[in-house]
Amino acid sequence: MKLKDRFTDRIFTLGGSILLLCIVMTVIFPDKFATIDNFSQLMLNLSIDTIVAVGMMVLMIAGMFDLSVGSVVAFAGGMAGYLMYYHDVNFVVAIIAGLAGSVLIGFVNGWLIARVGINPMIQTLAMMGIIRGFALMLSGAGIQNFPYGYIVIGQSKLLGLQMPVWYMIIILLLFAYFAKNTSFFRRYYFIGGNEKAARLSGIHVEKMKVWAFVISATLAGIAGILLSSRLGAALSTSGRGMEMRVITAVILGGASLSGGYGKIWGAFLGALFMALINNILILSRVSGYWQEVILGVILIAAVGIDQLILKKMEK
Amino acid sequence: MLALKNISKSFGGIKVLEQVTLTFKRGEVHALCGENGAGKSTLMNIISGNLKPDTGSVELHGKPVIIEDVLEAESIGIAIVYQERSLVDSLTIAENIFPVNPPLNAWKLIDHKALHRNTALLLEKLQLKDIRPDTIVGKLSAAQKGMIEIAKALAKNPAVLILDEPTASLTHEETKVLFSIIRQLRQNNVAIIYISHRMAEIAILADKVSVLKDGVLQGTVPATTPVEKVVQMMVGRTLAASAFNSNATEQVLLRIEQLSGSGFRDISFTVHSGEILGLAGLTGSGRTSLAKTIFGDVPYHSGQMFINGMPFHPQNPGRAIASHIAYLPDDRKTEGLFIEKSVADNIASVHLDTAKYHKKTNEQLALQYISQLSIRTPGPGTPVRKLSGGNQQKIVLAKWLSVSPELLIVNEPTHGIDIGAKTEIYHILKNLTAKGKGIIMVSSELPELLLLADRIAVMYQGLLMDILPKQEATEEKLAALASGIR
Repeated sequence: MKLKDRFTDRIFTLGGSILLLCIVMTVIFPDKFATIDNFSQLMLNLSIDTIVAVGMMVLMIAGMFDLSVGSVVAFAGGMAGYLMYYHDVNFVVAIIAGLAGSVLIGFVNGWLIARVGINPMIQTLAMMGIIRGFALMLSGAGIQNFPYGYIVIGQSKLLGLQMPVWYMIIILLLFAYFAKNTSFFRRYYFIGGNEKAARLSGIHVEKMKVWAFVISATLAGIAGILLSSRLGAALSTSGRGMEMRVITAVILGGASLSGGYGKIWGAFLGALFMALINNILILSRVSGYWQEVILGVILIAAVGIDQLILKKMEK
Repeated sequence: MLALKNISKSFGGIKVLEQVTLTFKRGEVHALCGENGAGKSTLMNIISGNLKPDTGSVELHGKPVIIEDVLEAESIGIAIVYQERSLVDSLTIAENIFPVNPPLNAWKLIDHKALHRNTALLLEKLQLKDIRPDTIVGKLSAAQKGMIEIAKALAKNPAVLILDEPTASLTHEETKVLFSIIRQLRQNNVAIIYISHRMAEIAILADKVSVLKDGVLQGTVPATTPVEKVVQMMVGRTLAASAFNSNATEQVLLRIEQLSGSGFRDISFTVHSGEILGLAGLTGSGRTSLAKTIFGDVPYHSGQMFINGMPFHPQNPGRAIASHIAYLPDDRKTEGLFIEKSVADNIASVHLDTAKYHKKTNEQLALQYISQLSIRTPGPGTPVRKLSGGNQQKIVLAKWLSVSPELLIVNEPTHGIDIGAKTEIYHILKNLTAKGKGIIMVSSELPELLLLADRIAVMYQGLLMDILPKQEATEEKLAALASGIR
């Protein structure tokens, strides 16, 4: 890859920025930032968002997005919690039920969008409300006292890292590998890049779109189970505002709203960058209110600089 | 080898194909011609599985086949090169060539090495030396993209290859390569269906010519049949050539000096009032970009423009309109019309910044143009989406005439409209020159430039090659200039 291309590759620019931030922070706060504890906490904080962001990246490569993921996070945890607490259901069955519910939500989203032709924004906005309602009904003021087996999933550690971090790593590796090496995932680049061309090339666009929403909702379901296990509680407010956070991460990670662009690793780097900013602000004792302001400014700057480079290159 | 039996197809009650029966043999180049809207594309979409016929059948090797979709067409050896691009700009050449069935390894994963190798072989075959399989398609020129489109079809090793206007964006050199590949495929017993309206190409390449008119097959003749006769079959009558006189005056309306902008450089020319200046060139030669720059839609880097001797700096279309310049875009659906809106609203859409929105006034304005340009519509309130291509084009024309332009830039003014409407638009344009208006006519149809233009400027890769007076211009000369040959 030529140097000029490198500067338009978000994986490179974002990765470089993260590296730079880490170096600067290590110099300023050697005893607070560059510790294993801080690193492990940072990774734990971003793991849930990243898992959801991977699904969102797949959707955005295909030129779509899903606003209902935050609600699905609350729903999946609530569903599992409800079954375990009120009906003494075995935790494995409860997890399967929570995930099955998520798959169904994704399928309904995808089917209505791809087959009936509802706009993704409208469909998933409506679904966001509907599922949040179900999550409220399921978990009410919150469910606690989960069986030990369920708690272990999110709260145990391996090699010093919390389990959600490991799940995130596994999901990232799997999706990054498959996105590069299977024609199934490559098709999403065609659909997002030029839907008509994709159809003329023999790609079953509708079927692929349904799958994309199923993938995204399933990953949100997994994230929901992990979150409730880690917190030891299913809360109806879990994942509120997550959809915007995740979309921000994915766009920072190189996706475009019109589709066709993005890499799975971009989802991780975007989420890592956001978690890092958060971490820096806490360490620097800056008020948490500034976090949203700064992230907003960074998002505009990142996309704005991209547009400027593109315009320069076209000349 | 491939036979179509009594194929009929209607869209919303309008018959597009009527009882078409055709046989394509292996080792033969079979040209298919017809005016726009004659049903060629519909027929090809039926063969390639994008559409299903209402009645009739497709037979392969004497057995009827039902082609459910594109993949199934490919699996029985039918490949098509579409006229509209089916490439994705954000992906590499290799990925674009194998969108659905890339080479897989034992684990059913994409074999990137084989993908790269297969693509390199195809690029070599098409003599594309400067580009590599991992080049991003968005960085290619229009002509290179055209060649990749062909590579994509060849990758399927087709037994039947359909080419829909493949040379529209290709230069001379690439066209030669394409022709040699087609001849090679013919020797390898591939059945080739070649759709084109360039008679010269058909004469040197094809074995047989079939002509469609209004969805009905007019007949199949050997390719040695004189061009005039084929044209007559296409249009049902002979075209009256050179029926137009020049209205050009000595007065310079627009003068451009050393204009450079995005996609073109160092362009200088003049347009006189009453003159039609033709602007020829391949797709991607900078024609449209130049036209849009004069209209202020695209900024320029250097150079000067003068209107009636006064310096002119169009910074946006609004300013160009105020200087009485109008621009008729090449794609009326995306750039010219508000397709769901009424005839009246469309014509009035250029007056939104000056006049108050007044439905009655708009409709009166529309009625005036409906009679003046004989637009066939149930009324000024009809949504334009319900009208035919020719009438839609007249509405875009009416919209721009309503700003009373002194200079009218028309980009592909007769694209995708039938012969009757074409002739009407020619007369409208010529009548405007009689009133002293200047016209820049961008067109890919050389015959229409030769018919209407007083002088023809030819562009190639952003440069102005030459400006030929009508008397000196021939199709061969223009085509050579458009391919960069002086």
